[in-house]
Amino acid sequence: MTILVQKFGGTSVDCPEHRALAARKVIQARVAGHSPVVVVSAIGRAGAPYATDTLVTVLQNIDPQVAPAPREMDMMMACGEIISTVVFAHTLQTLGCKAIALSGGQAGIITDPKFGDARVLEIRPHYILSLIEQGYTPVVCGFQGITEPTDEYEHGAITTLGRGGSDTTASALGVALKAHGVEIYTDVDGVKTADPDLVPKARTLSVCTYEEVAEIAHQGAKVVHPRAAEIAMDHNIPLWVKSTFSDAPGTRIAADDIPEDVRHRVTGITHTGRIVYIRLEIDDPAHRPIVEREVYRMMARAEVSIYLVTFSPTALSFAVPRDLFPIARDLLDGMIVPIRHSVPDVDGKLATFYIFKFSEGLDLAYSVQRPLLRNVESQVRIVDVPGSIIENCTMVSVIASGHRHSPGIMALIYETLMDNSIDVYQTADSEMSVSCLVPVSEVKRAVSLLHDRLFAD
Amino acid sequence: MRDETRGASVSASQGPKVRFERERGVYSISLTRDVAHMVVSIIGEGTRSERIMQVFHTLANAQVPIFLVKLHRTAVSFALVAADLTRAESVMKMAGMSMRTRSDLAIVAVIAASMRAVSGVMVDISDALYAAGAHLYGTGDSHDSVLCLIEEERADAAVQQLCLVFHLDRKVVRERNLTEAAR
Repeated sequence: MTILVQKFGGTSVDCPEHRALAARKVIQARVAGHSPVVVVSAIGRAGAPYATDTLVTVLQNIDPQVAPAPREMDMMMACGEIISTVVFAHTLQTLGCKAIALSGGQAGIITDPKFGDARVLEIRPHYILSLIEQGYTPVVCGFQGITEPTDEYEHGAITTLGRGGSDTTASALGVALKAHGVEIYTDVDGVKTADPDLVPKARTLSVCTYEEVAEIAHQGAKVVHPRAAEIAMDHNIPLWVKSTFSDAPGTRIAADDIPEDVRHRVTGITHTGRIVYIRLEIDDPAHRPIVEREVYRMMARAEVSIYLVTFSPTALSFAVPRDLFPIARDLLDGMIVPIRHSVPDVDGKLATFYIFKFSEGLDLAYSVQRPLLRNVESQVRIVDVPGSIIENCTMVSVIASGHRHSPGIMALIYETLMDNSIDVYQTADSEMSVSCLVPVSEVKRAVSLLHDRLFAD
Repeated sequence: MRDETRGASVSASQGPKVRFERERGVYSISLTRDVAHMVVSIIGEGTRSERIMQVFHTLANAQVPIFLVKLHRTAVSFALVAADLTRAESVMKMAGMSMRTRSDLAIVAVIAASMRAVSGVMVDISDALYAAGAHLYGTGDSHDSVLCLIEEERADAAVQQLCLVFHLDRKVVRERNLTEAAR
């Protein structure tokens, strides 16, 4: 018998009818001669009684002013999968399938102690393997593990794996159990060429490479978590994305046996969340690199990740996620970068102070700090760094493997958007994708137009 | 390589310890030589978008692949394989565009899992390149990398500094050749 890992997401186990359909997939795998190992997510999505978000709210509501300790938060978050696992194991039992529910720890999943975002360090599969030998179908809690039981400080504490944790559990178990493959069951019938909510005629891909699916996931599609795709890619475990609610063949994700036309093609169009694009005008090209470094340093201190970095001799632009923009703006408003001159300049000034200024209304710190510099203006050149902001942008990406060796993709994308009067504020490209920063209000149109153009036939 | 024991009997014995997940933060560096950079002015007749479009079309028609594309207020900049530079310059001049170019460049890429969730990488890169005396001609970033276009003669020093800053062994550095990859 070969082991097949089957993972069911929240919407696949959120009601008795859906659980029955999911159980059918497990029984079909057994009939086909596999030994299934099932991984389940918490029941339902935000708002559902046993969904992770609902459980977290119970803890947070005790006193909204006091944040729960990360260790206790992880114990609470892990409850959603424990409930779901027990319910699904019992569902299988009622259908005559010998099933047993296992927590992440019981399944031998050992993680580092970073609560809320733990990484899988080791999987000790002997207990699962002995259960399979006895004819059981193990049903394992996704999204969780434990720290090393002999760890002096954390002593086998429950940890959670962060976003997409159940997919990660499935992939890692697939590797540890040397599985025949990993099936990720969801509410769509495979990897789509675009979000079907935006493009109803989006197609399902029959086959994808690991790199494509990892890129699609990183660029915003919610089909398989990138960590899970990366584990499968690094260990060459075959992965399938399938629907719980249909018998469609789904999408096979693998590195071997992929035709050449799949390795160089447009795979899909994705879009990410809201972004704010910041542009800073820096007067003197010679000083720009120094000012730029201090901007990076300030953002790093506040743990604000920046991307889409672009510079010209006298400007620096970058993007920040919308939710971090107030922090970025508060840090930059009124920030001063002093640069000492090696020799006094033509006006006899000994240094230049760059002070950051956003438009009126966003320049509180600047308006307080700028007058304080008047006392030094006789010796120091004071230069404003005007900051401008484009709010409410998003990134639309074309996933195109091998595009760096096939000219014209940027022309085609840009033309499609500009011909339809969609502003492109900036572009970014990687080995696997070309992205455009566009107004968030245009995301549906941008994705649809690019899909129509690139999947015309 | 495919694991030949996959799909084996359920009683298969456990193999050696496996590393499941990629390291947090920066885990690799890649170096690509033979890269050129072009900055094309888009000041002239027509709208800014039309001028940008003309740049992209001209290069596409000449079958010149470009990357690290950045839009500026009065220019478009991009990188290209150094071997394509002469052809690119020629078609751009024929299209009546003015440009500045540089051909002796290299791309140093810093690779990390979930780069866009990691803060502080840019400042560490910036400090390392400064220490290496490298001038940055362009940058690019994706979900797993930050790419820096620098002088090729400073590339080895830059890699050395980046290894120091990110506590990486020199053996995690991969060298790539764009001209060969393009073939």
